[in-house]
Amino acid sequence: MLSQKAKVLMVGAGGIGCELLKTLALTGFKDIHLIDLDTIEVSNLNRQFLFRKQHVGQSKAKVARDAVLKFKPDIKIEAHHANVKNSDFDVEFFKQFNVVLNGLDNVDARRHVNRLCLAAGVPLVESGSTGYLGQVTVHVKDQTECYECQTKELPKTYPVCTITNTPSKPVHCIVWAKDLLFARLFGDRNQSSDLIVHTNDRTSSAATADTDFFNIKDGETPESYACRVFDGVFGDNIEVALRNEETWKSRKRPRPLYICEVYSDAKKPRIDGSCNSPDGNDKHTASAARILGLSNPQEVWTVRDSANVFLKALELLLNTRQKDIGSLVFDKDDQLAMEFVTAAANLRSSCFDIPMQSLFEAKGIAGNIVHAIATTNAIISGLIVLEAIKLLMGNLDDCRTTYCLEYPRRKMLLMPAELSAPKSSCYVCSQSTLLLEVNTTMTRLREVVEKIVRGQLSVNSPMISQGPCLIYETGDDLEEDMVTQYNQNLEKFLDSLPAPIVDGSILSIEDFQQEFTCHLQIKHREIFDEEKEPDNMVLSGKLSTTRDQALPGSVQLTAVADNVSIHAVDDDDEVILIDEVAKQDLKRKVLDEESVIVCGKRQRTEVS
Amino acid sequence: MEVRNNNNNKYDRQLRIWGDQGQLALEQANTCLLNCGPTGSEALKNLVLGGIGSCTIVDDSKVEARDLGNNFFVDWESIGLSKAKTVCNFLQELNDTVKAKFLEESPETIINVNPDFFSQFTLVIATQMKEQSLLMLDAICRKQGVMLLIARSFGLTGLIRISLKEHCVIESKPDNVIHDLRLQKPWAELKRFSDEFDTEIDDSVIHKHIPFAILLIKACEDWRKTHGDSLPSTSKEKAEFKNLLSSKRRGVDEDNYKEAILSAYRVWSSPTISSELQKILNDSAAEVNMNSPDFWVMVAALKVVVETIDTSVILSIKYIENVEFLPRPF
Repeated sequence: MLSQKAKVLMVGAGGIGCELLKTLALTGFKDIHLIDLDTIEVSNLNRQFLFRKQHVGQSKAKVARDAVLKFKPDIKIEAHHANVKNSDFDVEFFKQFNVVLNGLDNVDARRHVNRLCLAAGVPLVESGSTGYLGQVTVHVKDQTECYECQTKELPKTYPVCTITNTPSKPVHCIVWAKDLLFARLFGDRNQSSDLIVHTNDRTSSAATADTDFFNIKDGETPESYACRVFDGVFGDNIEVALRNEETWKSRKRPRPLYICEVYSDAKKPRIDGSCNSPDGNDKHTASAARILGLSNPQEVWTVRDSANVFLKALELLLNTRQKDIGSLVFDKDDQLAMEFVTAAANLRSSCFDIPMQSLFEAKGIAGNIVHAIATTNAIISGLIVLEAIKLLMGNLDDCRTTYCLEYPRRKMLLMPAELSAPKSSCYVCSQSTLLLEVNTTMTRLREVVEKIVRGQLSVNSPMISQGPCLIYETGDDLEEDMVTQYNQNLEKFLDSLPAPIVDGSILSIEDFQQEFTCHLQIKHREIFDEEKEPDNMVLSGKLSTTRDQALPGSVQLTAVADNVSIHAVDDDDEVILIDEVAKQDLKRKVLDEESVIVCGKRQRTEVS
Repeated sequence: MEVRNNNNNKYDRQLRIWGDQGQLALEQANTCLLNCGPTGSEALKNLVLGGIGSCTIVDDSKVEARDLGNNFFVDWESIGLSKAKTVCNFLQELNDTVKAKFLEESPETIINVNPDFFSQFTLVIATQMKEQSLLMLDAICRKQGVMLLIARSFGLTGLIRISLKEHCVIESKPDNVIHDLRLQKPWAELKRFSDEFDTEIDDSVIHKHIPFAILLIKACEDWRKTHGDSLPSTSKEKAEFKNLLSSKRRGVDEDNYKEAILSAYRVWSSPTISSELQKILNDSAAEVNMNSPDFWVMVAALKVVVETIDTSVILSIKYIENVEFLPRPF
C-alpha cells in the first residue's frame, strides 16, 4: 500500500499537527518524522488532543509521538524537539522524504521549509487555520507555485507617531504599554526609547525627556517611583504633546491624567514594599489584580481600578523580579506583566478617550492570540492527507488548494481551487533580481543585513558577496580573523566596505542551508520619506513579500523571538486568492470575518 | 463556572470565538451519540475537547480487530470489550470536566422500546443508522424538543443533516452597533434636560461644553419647526442641517460642535425595527403562557415595550456611555 511505503516529514505538532499525526497513523503511514520546537501549554488542551494536563511543559513532538505509538505501536515516528531552521535539517535531511507536510503557525518558518523543499525537490503540502477558517495547498517545484510566489502581507505594524502621539485604537495603547513602557521600565535600558514626546519648541519637553527619568532615584520608595512614572507618562507627556497644535487640529485632544485626580477622594492601594502574596513569585499566578479583588479577567476595569493595578503590579514587579529587571521580555502568559500592560494601556486609553479593554481582550491583542478550535484542524488534517496521497500516487492534476469556510459559499463549505504554475517573477523559485534603494554613503551593512536580508528576505544564514568578494557570512566554522573582518564590515558604510557597494553594484545573497540564492541590485538614493520609508531602504522588484505602502513607518523593535516583537508575529491563516470565480465571494466573506488575510488586507496573527 | 475566571484557561482560544455565552451553552448541553464508530467518535472527541456538559454513548457492539485500523479511540487491549465503554473511557481522559457515560444497548432498540430516553438530551447525534430508524428517531426528537444531527460516512464521501424544529438565539453580537440617542423623540426627562441648555448663551466656557447630543436634539427641534415637522432627507437638506450647526459654532476649540456635525447622520438614520424582527414580534408564539421558552417570553416583553412606548424605539441603556453625564433613562 502506498501509505505504508512512504516516508513523511511533518513540521509542527500543534493544532494541525496533532490531528494530522492521528490521521496519518490511521491512514496506514508507517514512517513519520516530526519536528516541533514548542512545549505544551494549558491553552493548547482544547484542541491538541494528544496532550493531557500532566504534559504541560513537555515537548509537543515527543508527547505526540508517544500518544500515537500507544495506539499504533507498529509505526515508526521520529520526534525532533527542535527548530526546523536548525542546520541539522539540511537539504540532505529533506531529500529522504516523499512528501513534506506543514502544520506551522508563522510565515518565517514556512518560507524556510519552502526553500528547503525546493532545494531537495520534495513536494510540500502547506496548510493553515484560524478559528473556523483554514486552507490546504500543494507546492511542487517547477510544476506549481512555490509558497513564496504569492504576495504575503507582513504582519500588521503601526506608525511610530500613532503609538507615541496620536493613538486612536485600543491596540495602539497596548502596543505602547507593551513595547515602549514595559520595555523601558523592565527591559534593556540601552534601547533608545520613543517614549519621550518632544515639542517643536525644544526648550520645553516632558520630564520624561530626561534619560534617567525611569531609573529609580536613590532613596526613592517603590510607591513614589510608581507615582512619579504614572504622572510622567499619563500626565506630563500628554501635556507636552498637547502643545503641538498642528497635531490636534483635526483630532480630539487628549486629557492628561495625574495620580492626584484619580485618588482625589480615595486612598491609593497600600504599597508596603512587602510581598506576602500567597502565590509566591510564580510568574503564572502572582497577580496584582487578584490582590485588589479584580478576579474576573473578562471585566473591564475602571480608571481607578486600572490605576490601582498599575501601581500594584509595578510594585510587585520591582520587588519580586529584581534580578530580571533590565532584561525582562514581555510574555503574555506572565500574569503580572500582562496586568501591568493592560492597566497602562487602559490609563492611556482613558486619556485619549479610547474604550478600555478587559484583561482577557488585552491579552489577546498584546499576545496576538488567534482563536482556535479542534474541528477546523481536524478538517484540515484530512485534506492534507488527501492531497499527500494524490501526490504519492503521482496525480498532481488532481491536487487542489482547498479553503475551509465558516459558512457555505455557493453551497460549498470546502471550496477547491486549481493550482497555479510557478511565477517567473518569483525571486525564490525563479531567481529574478531585486532592487534595493539605499543611501550607500550613510547606511551601514548591519542595517541591510538585519532589515533586508534577514528581515524581508527571511534568509537564515546569509552569505553576502559582490562578485568574487565575500562581504559577510555566518557560520560556526569560520576562522577568527574572518569573523573579525565581518564584524568590522557590519559597522561600515556600504561605500566604505573593502569591496565598496555603490550605485549599480550587484550583491549575491545565498543561504546554503536553504539552498537559496538571489541577486540584489543596488541603487543609491539620498532622500527617504520618514513616514513611508522609515527603514531608509526600499526593496522592490518582483517581491513576494511587500509592506503595505500606505502604512507609514513601523515601530521597529528588535525582539529576541518572533512572538515577542510587535511586528514579526506568527500567523496561521493565509488565504490565497487564485481562483477568479471564487475570488469575489471569498474576498467578501473573508472581509466579513475580519480575521484572515486577503492579500493586502488586514491580518490576524497567532502566537500559539 | 470556576474555569471562567481562571486566567490560564484551557478554553481560552475558543472563548475568543464564542465567548462566555457560547461556552456556557456547551457546558449546559447533554449530548447523546448513537453508534461510536469512527464518525461518531471523532465528532464526540471535538465536543468533549470543547467542554460539552455530558455525552452518553449508545452502542451495543464489541471492539473487533478491524476497528483498530480506523478508530483512534479503541486499542488492542479492548478487543472483545464493549466499544461504547472503551470509547467513553478514552473520551473521559480528554477532559475531566465532561460527564462521559455509556449504554451498552442498540440504538434501534431504544428507539423502539424506550423513546422517552431521548428527552433528557439537548442534542442527539445519530451516526451510521438506517433511514427507517432515523425517521422514527426524528419524530421522537421533534416531539420532545431535542435537536437531532444525522451523520453518515462512506469512504471519501459523507453527509450530515440537521433536524431542528426551532432554534432561538437571544444573544446577538452585531458588528455595527448604532446607539440610539433619541434625538428625534427625546423622552420627557431628556427633553426637559435639553431645554435647560441655551445655545445663545454668552459664556463661552459653558457654550463649548454643551453636549453634542443636546446640540443635535435642539437642532432637530429647530429644523422641524421650519420644515413642517419632517427631518432632513435629501442630501441638500442634510448639508443644510450641518451648516446650521456650523453657523452656531463659535471657535475651533468647540469640540462639541465638531462632534455634533460628525454625528449629524444619527438624526436621519436612527435605527428602527427590522422587518425580520417585526415578523418575530408578530408570531403567534409571542402570545406566551406558563410553558413558553425564555426566548418567547422576552419577545413578548419587547413587544409590550415597543407598542407602549414608541414604534421607533430601540432601548439604549448605553446612552450614558455616549453622552457622558446624562442620567439613566430607566
